[in-house]
Amino acid sequence: MSQYIFKMPDLGEGTVDAEIVAWHTKPGDAVTEDQLIVEVMTDKAAVEVPAPVSGRVVSITGAPGDKVAVGSPLIVFELNATAPAAGSAPIASAAPAASTAPAASAAPAASTAPAARTAPAARQGRVMTSPANRRRAQEAGIDLTAIAGSGPGGRIVRSDLDHAATSRAETSAATAAPAAGRGAGSAAATETTEVKVIGLRRLIAERMSEAKRNIPHFAYVEEVDVTELESLREHLNLSRPKDAGSLSYLPLVVMALTRVLESFPQCNVLYDAARGVLVRHRAVHVGIATQTPDGLKVPVVRNAQSLGLWEVAAEIRRLAERARTNKAGREELAGSTITVTSLGKLGGIASTPIINAPEVAIIGLNKAVERPVVHKGSVVVRRIMNLSSSFDHRFVDGYDAAAMIQALKERLEHPATIFIPTVTSP
Amino acid sequence: MANMNMIQALNSAMDIMLGRDPAVVLMGEDIGYFGGVFRATEGLQRKYGEHRVLDTPIAEGGIVATAIGMSINGLRPVAEIQFADYIYPGFDQICSELARIRYRSAGDFFAPVTIRTPCGGGIRGGQTHSQSPEGIFTHVSGLKVVMPSNPFDAKGLLITSIEDDDPVVFFEPKRLYNGPFDGDPTKPAVPWSAHPKGQVDEGYYKVPLGKADIVRRGSDVTIITYGTMVFVAAAAAAAANVDAEIIDLRSLVPLDVDAICTSVKKTGRCVVCHEATRFSGFGAEILSIVQEECFWDLEAPIQRVTGWDTPYPHAFEWEYFPGQARVGRALKSVLEPA
Repeated sequence: MSQYIFKMPDLGEGTVDAEIVAWHTKPGDAVTEDQLIVEVMTDKAAVEVPAPVSGRVVSITGAPGDKVAVGSPLIVFELNATAPAAGSAPIASAAPAASTAPAASAAPAASTAPAARTAPAARQGRVMTSPANRRRAQEAGIDLTAIAGSGPGGRIVRSDLDHAATSRAETSAATAAPAAGRGAGSAAATETTEVKVIGLRRLIAERMSEAKRNIPHFAYVEEVDVTELESLREHLNLSRPKDAGSLSYLPLVVMALTRVLESFPQCNVLYDAARGVLVRHRAVHVGIATQTPDGLKVPVVRNAQSLGLWEVAAEIRRLAERARTNKAGREELAGSTITVTSLGKLGGIASTPIINAPEVAIIGLNKAVERPVVHKGSVVVRRIMNLSSSFDHRFVDGYDAAAMIQALKERLEHPATIFIPTVTSP
Repeated sequence: MANMNMIQALNSAMDIMLGRDPAVVLMGEDIGYFGGVFRATEGLQRKYGEHRVLDTPIAEGGIVATAIGMSINGLRPVAEIQFADYIYPGFDQICSELARIRYRSAGDFFAPVTIRTPCGGGIRGGQTHSQSPEGIFTHVSGLKVVMPSNPFDAKGLLITSIEDDDPVVFFEPKRLYNGPFDGDPTKPAVPWSAHPKGQVDEGYYKVPLGKADIVRRGSDVTIITYGTMVFVAAAAAAAANVDAEIIDLRSLVPLDVDAICTSVKKTGRCVVCHEATRFSGFGAEILSIVQEECFWDLEAPIQRVTGWDTPYPHAFEWEYFPGQARVGRALKSVLEPA
């Protein structure tokens, strides 16, 4: 008999700890290698951790909601004599102390080596592969940290990539995750139900409070006549490519926004508070506020400025789907430079969106409805949608904010201009 | 077309240029009456006279300096430095004067000087007759640096160099003067008459500078080389049964970056071969360019096959010379699964 101590793996760059979301095993359980044992959450994404070995669970560390430092013991397994995987180097129970000293610095200790092979996110240190394979992986959307290398020194070789690409479909089906963050508390026979604020909900709560506390929001609401935009949208939907979904206002607004930001670089900014620097981005990475069963997530349409309308629409649809099914990775949920929020039919007439810090602007779409409007002396029916936006008033003056929204309004009211390059003023 | 070895091809180039352009003069140690230690100028003084083909004192600084003065005043000198190993006394003149005349005079003057010099090893010449200093000259802004690997290219490149209005240092891999050499000294020598590149047009023609020659098309790996190593690399790839694309640079400055990058992007693997020493060698420059331009296409670390970082030895020449075995090892390494 020997024990195997599994430590909290490094789940991605810069992660120092991870929060326990839900245990899928308890002391005394027998588990088999690769069986899902625990869900944890970093500041970016939920990660499912499979069992690195087969054995009986002796002890677990941390209750849902607790944060566990990377490198500290998470689970102790007892391996039976016929434990598989000779290569998994179980720690002899006689001398566990030396080799399992937690050492929060957590270099990849020998004991975590098998985790690298079995737990996708548990791979520590750097990915070893050629530049060409890195490019292939990026183009194919394959996460190299999730692949075990079969080449010299554990290097990922091309055949590993091909293998990963072909098995991706099954894998992604297998990792479809149950909703996290809904741990029921002590639902005793009282009339209240306690819901622990953990996981994504806690993260949302912290982010919102921080943004609202630190950022003096400047809110600005303007109405936009989207009659022509609606006509264009209807036309495009009738003639849309076969594989494209039906078009909402959102991709059109994102397209218009990327054009407008060319003239308003001060709105496509990340504020680096530590350095006291505003980092202007030429690329427009648009965060799309997305409601999911777990709560609000903001997946990111990268480099929206270089995408076409159908590409933007497809990307929004893809990201929303991945966010809702909990498949969106860290890299899909981070890195936006400006955010758009739309509640669709629930859009109301005005809202006061909270800025997605460290960004400095958020654009909100309200509901588009037909309204009587006075036009050249007579009352006509026009489709009107309000834009409710917030700006970080420390860095964006009200004048610029208003001018930016007016520019956006102009594009949206004359939809052809969305597709005409910006004439840069001197 | 005629069979020529590289000496005859170079001789033909100079003969043609002396005949075409009265401004062309040849100068160097023992190149006139004697016809040059490698016979490259044989018969030319007899044909064109002592005022066109000049014997000079044994003073490389003086040879280059005189050529510079002549060139600024309208002549088009072709100076021979008897061995590249002896070029260093002329280095200050080449580096500080020749390379900068056009720059220093804001374009009022220019120096159409060609410096021919035999280089490279494989001839049991020891440390005074075997060096490959081309990389030193590629580091000097204002110089063009050329090294042919066969008679046909040698003639065309030399004519282009002589007609070039700026200075060219023209390295002649002396092991290739009489025939191609695959790096195996135990094999009988092969004459150029048995090689297609030994078929040389007897008339005037040019081979452009800055245009590499793709000696062999292949898909497994790109071998970038020049001079003697072209044949060594080809033999090593054939022996290893590797489908290599072999690029003979022909001119190092200007460099055919397009040919290099197109090929490396295709194969994803790259080996650079030269006889010269490794550290700060010209291969390092190629590696940098490949890294900068082709990084995301690379399947494996780029390999270099070069001479060792020692003086060219008197003994153990074939341990020093980067022969087929070393090229083969580099190919094996770069072709590891990636």
